[in-house]
Amino acid sequence: MSPIDRYNCEETFRRLDDFLDRHLSPEEIRLVQEHLDTCGQCASEYAFEESVLRNVRAKLQRIKAPDDLLSRVRQALERERGGGRPSGSR
Amino acid sequence: MTADSLRGIEGSIIFASRPTPDFTMTDPSQAPPPAEPFEALLAPVLDRAYALAYHLSRSRDDAEDLVQEAALQAFRAFHQFRPGTNFRAWYLHILTNCFFAQYRKRKREPRTLNIEDAEPLYLYSRTRELGMHEKTPDPASAVLGKLGEDQVHAAIQALPEEYRVVCALYFVEELAYQEIAGVLRCPVGTVRSRLHRGRKLLQKELWAAAREHGIVTAKAAPERVE
Ligand SMILES: [Zn+2]
Repeated sequence: MSPIDRYNCEETFRRLDDFLDRHLSPEEIRLVQEHLDTCGQCASEYAFEESVLRNVRAKLQRIKAPDDLLSRVRQALERERGGGRPSGSR
Repeated sequence: MTADSLRGIEGSIIFASRPTPDFTMTDPSQAPPPAEPFEALLAPVLDRAYALAYHLSRSRDDAEDLVQEAALQAFRAFHQFRPGTNFRAWYLHILTNCFFAQYRKRKREPRTLNIEDAEPLYLYSRTRELGMHEKTPDPASAVLGKLGEDQVHAAIQALPEEYRVVCALYFVEELAYQEIAGVLRCPVGTVRSRLHRGRKLLQKELWAAAREHGIVTAKAAPERVE
C-alpha cells in the first residue's frame, strides 16, 4: 500500500501476459495500472498486445459448426440410449 | 455441496453455467441417467467445442467426429459428472482426451518451429519498424483485421501440438489458466508457460502470413531484405 512501492517499466513488462489473462492479484493489477497511467511506452505495448488477443480470439471463434451438428449428436445419443443393436463389434 | 464446488479459485474457475438445483443425483452409481439433462447441458457448448475440435484436428470432418465421439463418451460417463460443477470443462476434458487418443496422428504435425526465438512483442516491434504506430492508434488491428479468418486459423494450426491445444482452449473457449489445467489435467504453471510461449509463436506466424498476403511490406524492416 505504501506509495513508494511502484512498478518500473521492467516489472510492469514482466507482468504483461498475466495482466492480460487476469492472472494477477488485485494489488499487482493496481500497481500495473498505476504504471500504465504514467508511462506511455508501457501503455502502448499493453494496448497493442491486448488488441492482438482480441483480434485473434474473434477470428478463431468464428467457425461455423455444421447446422445439423446438434441433431446428429442427438441421433447418436438416441442410438446409444436405445441400447442400439450391437453393430458388428462386440 | 453444489454451491461450494462451484466456487472455484477466486470465482474464476466457474463461468456461465448455472448450477442446476433441480438436478439432485444422490447416488452416482445409479443406472443410466435420463437423456434430457445431459442434452440440455451439452447443447450450449457444442458450437464452441466444434471450433476447438477444428483447431485441434485441423480438419472439419475430424472435428465433427471428435465432437460426436466426445458426446457419446460423456453420455456414457455422465454418472461421474457432479451436478453443479462445470459441465463444459468436463466435456472438454473428454474431448481433448479423445483427440489425444485417436485423432492426433491422422494429420501430420506441422514442421517444428524454432521455439527458442519466441521473442516478446514480436508484432509490436515489426509494426513499429514499419512506422505503423504513427499512422494508426491501433496498429495491431490494422494488420490482423486484414488477415482472413482462414489465415488466422492456419496460423494457430501451424503451432506444435502442445502449444496449439493450450492456445485453442484459451482463445476459443476463453478458459482461465486453472480451467485449462483442469481440462488437460496438468499443472497451472505448465499451462501458463505454454500459453505465453504459444502466443509469441503465433505472432510470428501471423506476421509471416501478413507478409505473404501482401498486407504488410517488409521493405523498411532492417532485419531482413528480400
Ligand atoms: Zn513503463
